[in-house]
Amino acid sequence: MKNIYLPHVVEIVDVQEETPDVKTFKLKFRDNVVEESFDYRPGQFVELSVFGEGEAPFCFSNSPTRRNVIECSVKRMGQVTEALHEMDTGDTVGIRGPYGNGFPLEDLKGKNLLFVAGGIGLAPLRSLINYCLDNRKDYKTLTIVNGARTSKDLMYRNEYPVWEKAKDTSLHLTVDCQEENWTCMVGVVPKVLEQIKPTCGNSVAIVCGPPIMIKFTMPTLLKLGFCEDAIITTLEMKMKCGLGQCGRCNIGHLYVCKDGPVFSYSQLKDKNFQF
Amino acid sequence: MLKSITKEDFFTRVGELSNDFEIIGPMELPLKGIFYQSILNTEDLYLGDGFAIEPIKKFFLEPSTRLLRYPWKNEPGVESFSPPERERIAIGVRPCEAKGLVLLDSVFDPPASSDLIPNSAPGAGKKSSNRAGSTYQDAFYTNNRKRTIIVGLACGRPDRCCFCTSLGVSPAGTTGMDVLLFEIEGGFAIEIITDRGKGIFGALGKELSEEEKKLLTSVNNKREDLLEKKIRVPESMDTIFTSDYWDKVSRSCISCGICTYLCPTCHCFDLIDERRIKLRCYDGCSFPHFTLHASGENPRPTKKERYRQRVFHKFDYFKINFGENLCVGCGRCIRFCPVKIDIGDIVDKAPLSKKR
Repeated sequence: MKNIYLPHVVEIVDVQEETPDVKTFKLKFRDNVVEESFDYRPGQFVELSVFGEGEAPFCFSNSPTRRNVIECSVKRMGQVTEALHEMDTGDTVGIRGPYGNGFPLEDLKGKNLLFVAGGIGLAPLRSLINYCLDNRKDYKTLTIVNGARTSKDLMYRNEYPVWEKAKDTSLHLTVDCQEENWTCMVGVVPKVLEQIKPTCGNSVAIVCGPPIMIKFTMPTLLKLGFCEDAIITTLEMKMKCGLGQCGRCNIGHLYVCKDGPVFSYSQLKDKNFQF
Repeated sequence: MLKSITKEDFFTRVGELSNDFEIIGPMELPLKGIFYQSILNTEDLYLGDGFAIEPIKKFFLEPSTRLLRYPWKNEPGVESFSPPERERIAIGVRPCEAKGLVLLDSVFDPPASSDLIPNSAPGAGKKSSNRAGSTYQDAFYTNNRKRTIIVGLACGRPDRCCFCTSLGVSPAGTTGMDVLLFEIEGGFAIEIITDRGKGIFGALGKELSEEEKKLLTSVNNKREDLLEKKIRVPESMDTIFTSDYWDKVSRSCISCGICTYLCPTCHCFDLIDERRIKLRCYDGCSFPHFTLHASGENPRPTKKERYRQRVFHKFDYFKINFGENLCVGCGRCIRFCPVKIDIGDIVDKAPLSKKR
C-alpha cells in the first residue's frame, strides 16, 4: 500500500520576491511522469515540506491552465516558511497533494464574479482569476478588489496591467492608509466595497484574506445584496495531514482540509462557526 | 462456537504460537501497573480482572511512527519506511478497546478511493455527497490491523469508571474480536468468532457441557448489571455549542492531555520532522498549540473551546460523519485525570434544553 505521506520531490526553479515578507516559489517536478499526471483545481492546496524542518499547507497561486511549474506564495511566518525563505533556485523540497475541494468552477459559470482579497489572500484568487481569464467566455464580468496594509504589501503587481486590460474586468486596489504617490483607493476592504457598490445580481463574491477582513467583509456583502449562498471564502487553518485524519482543522463536523478549504457563507453560518 | 479449555492448555498453546507470532498482552509491571507489552514468556501474560493502563491502541496507532527518511541536502529521493510484517496475536484485549479499533478503522482504513484527486468540488453551499471523513488509507495503521489477530477477554469486574454499556458496548462484546475468552472455573470458555481465530485456537478444547453453558449464560447475563456508571448520551449536542456550560466544566482542566493519550479512540496526531526523519506522534485537542496558526491566530484560544472540541468530536461530529459515538466508555480518562474531570458526567448533565 502507498505511503500517503510520501511527497513528490520538486526543484525550486525560480523565486520571486512579491513583498518584503512574501516570496513566490516556482516548483518543477523531478519526475516527468508525475508532472504529466499531477492535476489540480484553483482553490486546492499542497502540503509543502522542507526536509528536516516540517510541512505546511499552501494553496496553488497559479492557474492550472497556464502551468509548466507549480507556484506557491509563502509569507515568512513560522519554522517552515522561515526555512523556505532561506532557500534558492536549485534546492529541492517536497509536495504532496492536491488536497481540498477547490472552487466550485461549474457553479461559477455564467456569473458575474467579485473577487475580494486582502494581503496574501490574493494567492488562491489569482489562481481562479487567471483560470477565468483563460476560460473567458464561461464567466461574465470580473471585479477584483485587492487590499493591503501598504502599497509595498500588494501582491502580484506584474499581473495588474494584464487584469486591467482584460475584457469586462476591473481592478480596484486599496491600501489601509494614505501614502505619498498613491493614486488608487484608500481604506479597508469593506469600506472600499461600499464605495464601489459591485452588482449583486447574478453574482458570486469570492473572499480571501485575514480573519479580521473576512469578519467585516461578510456583513458588507450581505448589505450590498449578496445572498449567503453567493458568498464563498477559502479558509486558513492549521492543517498537518491534509487527509482528514489529524483532527485539528475541523469546523463542526467538516474538515477544512477535506471538505474545504472553500466554503460558502451559508455553510459556515449553518455550522454556527463551530471552530 | 463455544469450547472450554484449561488454563494450562491455553498457555501451552500460546507458547506454541509464540514461535510464529509476536504475542502482545497485558503484563503486570512491579510498581507501575498493568501494561500491554510484547510478551516473551507466556507466564508473564496477565489475564485477570485488572485493566491495562494504556489501551491496545498503542500497537496500532503507535505513540510515534516513523514515516519517512529524507535525503541529505539536495540528494534525490525521499524514502518511505516499510511497515513491519511480523504477524501478531494480541491477547487479553477488552471489548471496549476492540470496539475502539473498529472506530479507528473508519478514520485510518476507509473504503479505498480509486481516483488520485480527493474529491470533485462539492460546490459551495451544497452538501458534499462524498463519504464523510478521510478517503485515504494509512498504510502503517492498516498494516498493523491486518497483521494482528485479536483475542479478547470478557470483563468480569468493571470498576466505578467503566460505562461501556451506555455506549452500546458490552463487557462480553465481540465487535472487533477474532476470539473471545471468558474466565470460568479452572480455565477459559473460548468463543471463536472469525476464521482467523479458528486458525489459531480452532483445534483446541472440548465442547462446553450443558451445565457449563447454562452457568456461562447466567454469568454473561449479569455482566452488564455489574456496571454502576450509566450515562445518557444525547443524539446531538448542537444546541449547547455556545453555552457557558463549557466554561464551567473545563475550568479545572490543566491541559495535560492524559485523557487523549489514554483514550482507545482518540487519534489526533502531529507530524514532526526530526532531523532526517518524519514522525507521526500523538497530539491532543487539549493542548493550546494544537490549533495555533503560525500567524498567532488560534481558533480555540482557551480551555473552554478546547474541552468543548473534545466532547463534540466524540459525541457530535463523529456521529454526524460515521453514525457512532467516538467513545467506548472504557473510563480511562476518568480514572487517570489528575483533576477528576469526568466526561461521562459532563455528557450526562449537559443542559440540552438550553438554547444557543
